[in-house]
Amino acid sequence: MAASLTGLLKPWTPRVLLVRWSRYNPYYLEPEPRKEVYHIPETELTPEQKEERELKSVRPIKAATNSVTSSVFNDPVLSKFVNMMMKDGDKIIAKGIITQTLENMKRKQVEKYHKAPEGKKAETECNPYAIFHQALENCKPVIGLASIQKGGKFYQVPIPLTDDRRRFLAMKWMITECRDNKHRRTLMYEKLSQELLAAFSKEGNVVKRKHELHKMAESNRAYAHYRWW
Amino acid sequence: QIGFSLSQCHPFCHQTQVRPLHGSGCGQQQEAIGMETRPETFSIFRTQENDPACQSEQHLGQYYTVPPSHFHTVFPHGLPPRYQQQVKTFNEGCVMVRQPALELISHLKRADYSKPTLRYLLYGVKGSGKTMSLCHTVHYCSTQGWLVLHIPDAHLWVKNCKELLPSSYHASRFDQPIQASNWLRNFRTTNEHFLSKIKLRQRYVWTKRESTEEGRPLGELVDMGVSRVKSSSDVVGAVLKELRLQAGGTEGGFRLAVAVDGVNGLWGRTTLKKEDKSPVAPEELTLVHNLRKMINNDWCGGAVIATLSQTGSLYAPSSAYLPQELLGEEGFDSMDPFVPVPVSLYSEKEFESCYLYYLDHIHFHHWLQHPHSQTEEGKKELIFLSNRNPSVLERLCAFL
Repeated sequence: MAASLTGLLKPWTPRVLLVRWSRYNPYYLEPEPRKEVYHIPETELTPEQKEERELKSVRPIKAATNSVTSSVFNDPVLSKFVNMMMKDGDKIIAKGIITQTLENMKRKQVEKYHKAPEGKKAETECNPYAIFHQALENCKPVIGLASIQKGGKFYQVPIPLTDDRRRFLAMKWMITECRDNKHRRTLMYEKLSQELLAAFSKEGNVVKRKHELHKMAESNRAYAHYRWW
Repeated sequence: QIGFSLSQCHPFCHQTQVRPLHGSGCGQQQEAIGMETRPETFSIFRTQENDPACQSEQHLGQYYTVPPSHFHTVFPHGLPPRYQQQVKTFNEGCVMVRQPALELISHLKRADYSKPTLRYLLYGVKGSGKTMSLCHTVHYCSTQGWLVLHIPDAHLWVKNCKELLPSSYHASRFDQPIQASNWLRNFRTTNEHFLSKIKLRQRYVWTKRESTEEGRPLGELVDMGVSRVKSSSDVVGAVLKELRLQAGGTEGGFRLAVAVDGVNGLWGRTTLKKEDKSPVAPEELTLVHNLRKMINNDWCGGAVIATLSQTGSLYAPSSAYLPQELLGEEGFDSMDPFVPVPVSLYSEKEFESCYLYYLDHIHFHHWLQHPHSQTEEGKKELIFLSNRNPSVLERLCAFL
């Protein structure tokens, strides 16, 4: 693929081109960013891993995206959330807001920890990552609604959701709630940290929205047979 | 001098709180009993020596706690804002004993105070700990009973001023009432006990009906400056002049420490404009004019400790950190001769100490929460990401 393009390069063409979102030939393999995989010595490799290594020495590999790191602090769910928060491709601002949110949550929880009586101290969760994941779990809907046309009318039919769809809905609701329904002058990280802490203790508007969706699905269970998949 | 400081450190050594490193079940019990229990194991990164006068090279890299009773009197202003947040979260103010601060304190201990004042200048890259070293030295000066004149950031006086009044005292100068009155209020908090002892040596006339007579205590002048905001800049000038005259005095003499953060703001340019949109030079501001007189070494009986700062500075490139670059020609000539004190990034030992402090479970900070940050891999990554820069490391550990 690259060999055919070098003839067309002109002096004004940029040398570094964006290739990641172009369609790769299926011949190309995915890159492996995790460090542990490369630290396994020769002797401990399973036959599949040996085969994979041999394949990698022959085949070309796709370019890694900018968001992939070999860092131990890499969190795919958090990266997805950052991408959803991002506006106009400005990931620096989005990442900055998320780090401020995590710091803010940690400070609030640590202060709560210091004020709590002895018995309650062990229960206060101070890890902002654990709070984030738990809050997101609490916001994920179990069942969703789809608009299905039957006999000229559209009915809201309860349908099962895939894991990806559930995660997407939880994040989307969280972000729209913080953008729209809060006081104009509070900063995004403050709004996000308040909403995440509320979702962690199963209160707040996002969890309420999830419950309302469940109630709608429950009330429409008569139409469940309209689903054909 | 040395005997005096040793006898002072003994009461501190016995009164400090002692907590064991490995608490587990008995940790909470010991805290309930009180402060008298001695630790079975000792902390590598904490020291019980809370008096800056008694700290020496053996305490390098260790954290000492500023006693909570001193905290609000010694540091009403002057601490970096992120550090203030940290103190509020951790419920304690811990400062690391580092080489530049110890060097400064040893110079202060051995200087001859009958000679003209020595000027010390802390310089280093952004985030290397200049302001914290300055605050450590200010704590030392205040425990030794000096009068501390702490200007938290000279850049605040040369930018973002909403009210710029023409000065009543001098026609071509400008007053900054809000900044001056804020500073006087904080000055009053720091030096309460000196305000009644120092008497004025000159009569000051403010308006046709108001004047402060000779022999009145300094406290009255400061109160007047805080309440009458219009003349607060002139009050600041008067206070500085009085302190300069009386610092080296033999009868009831006190030592004066002038601590200025961001001293490079006093020379250079300002962002303030006069009504005809022409720029204001720093000399035309009363506060800056009086402070420059203070930094001159034509008085004796004290020391001037200054810090360079690129962070708040105006029209200076972000890579500049050396005195020559930040002070400019005029500033360097005014500050010359000075004792330069370089502040470097954390050494390996200091980094270890900082890492262990954030990891500390016994004092229940629970600061480094990410499970991977507590492993060796995570630590190596922190070293790589922060390059051992103290402020970058603090920001990283804040969200990890």
